[in-house]
Amino acid sequence: MLELADVTTRYGAVTALDAVSIHVDEGELVALVGPNGAGKTTLLNTVAGLLTPATGTISFSGERINGTEPATLVRRGLALVPEHRRIFKDLTVEENLKLAGVTVARRLRRERVDEVGSLFAVLRAKWNTNAGFLSGGEAQQLAVARALMCNPKLLLLDEPTLGLAPTLVDAIFELLVTLRSQGRTVLVVEQNAHRALEIADRGYVLRSGRLVAEGLGSDLAGDPQLFEAFLGGGL
Amino acid sequence: MTQLIQNLVDSLGLGGTYALLALGISLIFGVMHLVNFAHGELITVGAYTAYFLFSTVGGSWWWMPVAIIASCVLASVLTERIAFRWVRTANPFTMLLTSFALERLSHALWQIGVSPKAKAFPKVSWAFDTYQFGDVRIEKMDLVTIFVTALALVVTALVFKRTLFGIAVRGAAEDFDAARLMGVKANRVILGAFAYAGLLAGVAAVLILMRTPSAKPDMGSAWLLAAVIAAVIGGMGSFTGAVAGGVALGMLQTFLQSYLPEGTLSYLNDAFVFGVIAVFFVIRPQGLFDVTHAERV
Amino acid sequence: MNRSVTLRIGRSLATSAALLAVIGVLAVIYTSTGGASRHSLVDEMLVNLMLVAGMQIFVGNTGVLSFGHLAFAQIAGYSAAIAALPLASKAKVLPGLPFGLGDVHLGALGAVIAAVVVALVVGAVVGVVVARAHGLAPTMITLAVLVVVEQVVKNWKELTRGAGGLSGVPVVHGSGWLYVAAFVALLVACLFHESRIGRFAVATREDELAAPALGIRLFSARYSAWVVSIAVVGLGGAMLVLSLGSVNPKQFTLDRSILVIAMLVLGGMRTVTGAAVGTVLITAGNELFRQLGDRWKIERFSDLFLGGVLLAVMLLRPGGLLGDRDLLGYLRRRFRAPDRPAPPVPERSAALVAADIVVNFGGFRALDDAGIRVRPGEVVGLIGPNGAGKTTLFNVVTGLVDETSGSVHLGDQDLSDAMPYQVARAGLARTFQNLRLFKNLTVRENVELTSLVAWRHRTGSLPVNELLADAGLTAVADRAAGTLDYGNQRRLELARAAALSPAYLLLDEPTSGMSDAESQAMVEQVRAVAAKVGAGVLVIDHDLGFITRISDHMVVLAEGRILAEGTPAEVRANPAVAEAYLGSQA
Repeated sequence: MLELADVTTRYGAVTALDAVSIHVDEGELVALVGPNGAGKTTLLNTVAGLLTPATGTISFSGERINGTEPATLVRRGLALVPEHRRIFKDLTVEENLKLAGVTVARRLRRERVDEVGSLFAVLRAKWNTNAGFLSGGEAQQLAVARALMCNPKLLLLDEPTLGLAPTLVDAIFELLVTLRSQGRTVLVVEQNAHRALEIADRGYVLRSGRLVAEGLGSDLAGDPQLFEAFLGGGL
Repeated sequence: MTQLIQNLVDSLGLGGTYALLALGISLIFGVMHLVNFAHGELITVGAYTAYFLFSTVGGSWWWMPVAIIASCVLASVLTERIAFRWVRTANPFTMLLTSFALERLSHALWQIGVSPKAKAFPKVSWAFDTYQFGDVRIEKMDLVTIFVTALALVVTALVFKRTLFGIAVRGAAEDFDAARLMGVKANRVILGAFAYAGLLAGVAAVLILMRTPSAKPDMGSAWLLAAVIAAVIGGMGSFTGAVAGGVALGMLQTFLQSYLPEGTLSYLNDAFVFGVIAVFFVIRPQGLFDVTHAERV
Repeated sequence: MNRSVTLRIGRSLATSAALLAVIGVLAVIYTSTGGASRHSLVDEMLVNLMLVAGMQIFVGNTGVLSFGHLAFAQIAGYSAAIAALPLASKAKVLPGLPFGLGDVHLGALGAVIAAVVVALVVGAVVGVVVARAHGLAPTMITLAVLVVVEQVVKNWKELTRGAGGLSGVPVVHGSGWLYVAAFVALLVACLFHESRIGRFAVATREDELAAPALGIRLFSARYSAWVVSIAVVGLGGAMLVLSLGSVNPKQFTLDRSILVIAMLVLGGMRTVTGAAVGTVLITAGNELFRQLGDRWKIERFSDLFLGGVLLAVMLLRPGGLLGDRDLLGYLRRRFRAPDRPAPPVPERSAALVAADIVVNFGGFRALDDAGIRVRPGEVVGLIGPNGAGKTTLFNVVTGLVDETSGSVHLGDQDLSDAMPYQVARAGLARTFQNLRLFKNLTVRENVELTSLVAWRHRTGSLPVNELLADAGLTAVADRAAGTLDYGNQRRLELARAAALSPAYLLLDEPTSGMSDAESQAMVEQVRAVAAKVGAGVLVIDHDLGFITRISDHMVVLAEGRILAEGTPAEVRANPAVAEAYLGSQA
């Protein structure tokens, strides 16, 4: 479904992503882990069209999508839940969802908002509250709900558990499992590497912009070398 | 008491017009962080449109407002397409001077294309008829101004609250990239914001021109200055703030004019207003409604 | 007088003389082929040159746009007119002149000096407000000032005779005095650009956050630029009035402000050369269009030129035609004072201690009773997962973020409530996670800037050449910092921080984005630099290879708390650390 071939992304002089090749197949849950500054967010942003790769090819459903405007990608079924959630704090929960439904046909939009809203009971309860007043967990659910508005084929999630209390972290991991069981394809970047790899079909480890390990999720999670691969270098 | 009511009516009329213009400025600032000093030129465009229509095909004030508003929307959209689109990612300094350049060009075009002198066109016959309420005399135009402004602001509030376009503009004003990730097209929402700002400026232009039916190359500048000040007082990017700032500025001007002692001071009305504003910036530089977000280091 | 000051003055003299000589030659060629109107155009250009040079001092160096400078030209212009008017005509046209000004009469020179002083007095007060404001506010304040002054002038009839203005001011004949005044204006602009405070102002323009973090006080840099620029603009206003013999509010409108700004940005506002070039080009273009307008019977055709040029520059070359290409800059690279000898490495005994730090952002607790201690000469590594609060801790220590509670001490010195520039002057130099170099300045200028801070506010400046050589940047020393590759930018940021001669270096992810080989080399560079200036180091990094190799002691931060500390080996063996990084093995 998604394939990156030798993708390199630069910010000015900085090479944030260095010839990375990964793929995500239909119906898979794939985890992308690695330390801060490894280029995980850059990878997701490049796929979602916020950044344009310097070299390499990104293809989605068989089509080359390098440098395609995010709005177009959303319409093709690729949605990103960005790092730090980026919900619209000055809009209500309902308005956040409405805005995320900008790609849905006008007559179906109302229905879609209700449909997605019904998946998240906590949001339903705060329907007309400004999103700025939501707790971290609620805000994260809203961010995911927003991405589901366009009924994406592929969902990219960037650090969905960052800054959440442990019980909420559990809820988010459950949500990921649920999404997969509904047949959605998911690529998730997660700081909680062990847990993400355990629930994932496959995993990739990124460090300093390069791919340093890949394999089945459970294999990587149990690998004693993971910590070393993560932090690089020996003593 | 009579004086007070009279002043209140006057200041609501003036402040409402400021609010319409300030709202447009704040709207554009919200989506692209540009303080648009060319915004006042839309009034000039509206005025010359009316002048041309009256002097060529003839015209009537029954349909002229539609033509004026349409010309303002068109002009506003044009500035985005020919200029602002290309400096969208530039620093504020560059964007600010781009808008100034457009303001200059507009002045020059009218001066060269038409005339540096004012061009008058037919007035609205009933504009200055008055109603008498006890001791208070109110011009018809005052009532029209207040009514139309109120209507425009209510409609705007509904647009921002209920329509997808309004929600998208508010969302984009808060976090542009996040809005793009939702599928909002950057070009479309910015162009839409310019069109809507043009619409509001068009309504303001109609109200202004019904009072003073003439076109002059630099007529937009004074209005612009007041509108920018109003938008900044309210807090750039805050839509409620723009309206509050506009009305506050209208009141400040009207009441100072009325209550300052006779003599030199009353001539210094503008100086006082701007003095008060300068002091205001010192005390509260972020405006009445703070919309700034902290920078990450 | 020391060598570097002599050189500064020499370079400024040479630059202003050269610029004015070129302008003078062009003017002579131009006037020798036409009538008297050509002389008045040259006079007007010279006056505009003074105003542009004055604007450059503030707008060009600080990057803060001002519309209000013409207000001070106006104040100066009226002051000069009132001072120079003969007593008899003064009694006639301004009978009610207040403050006993009716009895004052000065010669041309006296009038100019008085005018500049009056403009300075008013400007000094307004400047306090402008220099303190942030973002859009200073620009808006200057706009308000322009309107206020215009209204006061138009309405304070006892003093100014209102909108009609004053005439009959004794005229200073000949362009000679205008050339002298223009030379003074250019010279002051060059001297300011070369001066320490001028360099500081430039640093604040390049990065409003990095400059204070290196010991530059935003307010004093901007305020000094403002005051000096007001003096020069005042000179321009006074000369305008004395060359025409009359003054009125129409000479100082927003329109003219924009004309002057267009002149400033066309050539390139960041340099005096750019300002002068822009002045000549706009004057010539305006005149050309005016003549074309006359020929084609189009009134005010030249306004089209001004708007068009301004728009074209902003859309196509917002840095101006010349950008940073500059005669003064060329001379600075060509004639340089030798480095001052390095001061001996001081014996340092003060420890850096942050204790019980709590920081709340809204409802979110970013730091929860975190503390850290670095001893002189020691290298402490700070690690932790994403969002642990590492950078926040740096920001608290360097004064960028106010702690909710807790304290920061350097030896006996309490830095808990210190401003960033005070923290830097006390001896803490930092780098930034996302690189905050002064991008338009050269590599050498980046390092020189902090070296100047050290020379003025700390024990002494370090030799810039040596620092550049140590960082391997000698070959690229004259390139703009923004054009370097990433590794070199990181190394430059380290060298720039070291130039402060700090007691402690705080490095935020110095190897992020570097290859393994580069980050290994960084270990050596950080150690060498720290040894050279005798500094302790507190470093955040994610590369465990790098951090274990460089640190004497490591501290692990997770969720705003200190999770573990000890030697690198102890920390790596601690299972809690692995868990913090990788999540629990549920």
